[in-house]
Amino acid sequence: MYNLGQLLEKTATRFPNKIAFKCLDDSISYADLNHKANQLAHHLIKSGLSKGDRVAIYMNRCLDTAVAVYGILKAGGAFVAFDSFLPTKRTTAIMKDCGIAHLVTVPSQSRKVKKISEEAPFLKSIIGLVDKTNSKAIEWDTIFSKSLENYKAPRIIEQDLAMILYTSGSTGVPKGIMHSHYSLLSLAKLEADLHESRSSDIIGNFAPLHFDQSLFGYFSGPLVGATTVIFPDSYVKLAASLSTLVAKERITIWFSVPLILIQVLLHGDIENKDFSALRWVRFGGEVFPVKQLRALMQKWPHVKFINSYGPSEVARCTYNILEEPPKTDDPIPLGTVWGNTEYKILDTANNEVKTGEPGELVVRSATRMIGYWNNNQLTEKSFYRVEVASGYDHIYYRTGDLVHENEKNELMFLGRVDRQIKLRGFRIELDEIEATLIKHELVREAAVVVTINDGETKELEAVVRPVENAEISSKDLIFFCGELIPPYAVPKKVTIMSDFPRTGTGKIDRNKITELIESNSHI
Amino acid sequence: MKDKIIEYIKEELSIEPLEDIYVDEDLLGNGIVDSMGMMRLIDFIEKESGTPIPQEDMTVDNFMTIEHIMDYLSQKK
Repeated sequence: MYNLGQLLEKTATRFPNKIAFKCLDDSISYADLNHKANQLAHHLIKSGLSKGDRVAIYMNRCLDTAVAVYGILKAGGAFVAFDSFLPTKRTTAIMKDCGIAHLVTVPSQSRKVKKISEEAPFLKSIIGLVDKTNSKAIEWDTIFSKSLENYKAPRIIEQDLAMILYTSGSTGVPKGIMHSHYSLLSLAKLEADLHESRSSDIIGNFAPLHFDQSLFGYFSGPLVGATTVIFPDSYVKLAASLSTLVAKERITIWFSVPLILIQVLLHGDIENKDFSALRWVRFGGEVFPVKQLRALMQKWPHVKFINSYGPSEVARCTYNILEEPPKTDDPIPLGTVWGNTEYKILDTANNEVKTGEPGELVVRSATRMIGYWNNNQLTEKSFYRVEVASGYDHIYYRTGDLVHENEKNELMFLGRVDRQIKLRGFRIELDEIEATLIKHELVREAAVVVTINDGETKELEAVVRPVENAEISSKDLIFFCGELIPPYAVPKKVTIMSDFPRTGTGKIDRNKITELIESNSHI
Repeated sequence: MKDKIIEYIKEELSIEPLEDIYVDEDLLGNGIVDSMGMMRLIDFIEKESGTPIPQEDMTVDNFMTIEHIMDYLSQKK
């Protein structure tokens, strides 16, 4: 087995009638999923899709996502999942960047998709849109009524492109992380090993498709013939309903950002619900505050907890199984690297540091991305090459994360080498927000910082120095950002200043700005 | 009350300008408001209706669509 289409086929042969994916009252068996994915693949190929072509998935969390993912992969295409909360301008810019010709959606997204369709004349077809006036629209029923008689599956090898995942780029242009069938299949296997997962498992999938945590439910689940339960957006965001549904579905493996677990701990009324089926809780994407982690672990003593870490460029690379609730409030170690992965910790001159000293974590792994789409320069910058022999390099990915190794050989997270941050699980480049603010014609300089209010709530705040005599309000600038960058990256507050605090060399002193904002002084 | 809620969503919460909202539309699922927006909406409804909304009532059954919200509020009275 060397591609993701085979993964599904193999499981569909072993467990044809088993439920592959479930979303509330809708479910689909492995045989059915395989058949429908073939119908979509057949249609895409007949519509002119060539191997390696990128296809957009524009859906909320729903059952059709599974058909879309596997259909695109089986056609030899690569899927690009879109966040429906992104501003239209950014969505169409990404589509243009990776040359999207086909978009797969569901009727509930019609309003936004119609708008995208107007602004994206390069789209050739829109599958799943119900719109009689749009000649590009093709309904799902049409696809599912097609015969597979003349269907010929393309040859797909493991190096072929499977997915592009777009993330915030520091220059203001989103970057597309390319993963192959090989890297995603490697990830599926490693995650199945980690949980010793089996066909009786029921996986809780809380992440949307454009967030790489979802790869666990979409690929590792089907690898072992488990059932993946897709939690709809409304359930993920309303904790009382979420915990009820987790208990009702008898979820055995939970993987999410800490925020969702914290919401369930605080507002999910978990004492009165039955979580006896739960075997594993894995969390990742950002730091889990120790106090809340301890409280949750004490409520669920029968569950094994794992801290999972890794940038999207390698999906995941370390794990830390917590045997018991943390005794102190010290940060939780990232753990050790998992299978098929090696690492080094480098100083700024690319020399390996002595054990215990801080440095940048670089990772060589089967789950490493191919590179960034259409950006060779950025790809090479993110790689650390060790020449073994002329023409043969070991390639490590530079995580940009500062770590050190403790006495138990566990990696401890110390911070970033750049200005990337994690806020409520979202990966954000502060430089991108500044670059966006400066695009406004009345803005001369901008600085964006993370402030911590009432001791724990992190917020993005910006200060802006406008051109002289400019009439511009904080609200205008927030609106301006909202049209260009994702909602979670838009500063909560923008303060207009005639000048910034500066360091001795005249650079903007961002630490001072943070202090000023946090102390609520008048600036 | 219904009109006030629709107005508030359109003016304050919607991610992008909206012409109209259907009362049976999944507010979170269809990407009309995000999770922070939902919390602000619940605050707004508490203030406008004078009805306190306890944590355990913040469920999909009560807040998925404008219709659900109206049903919930009429039961609370």
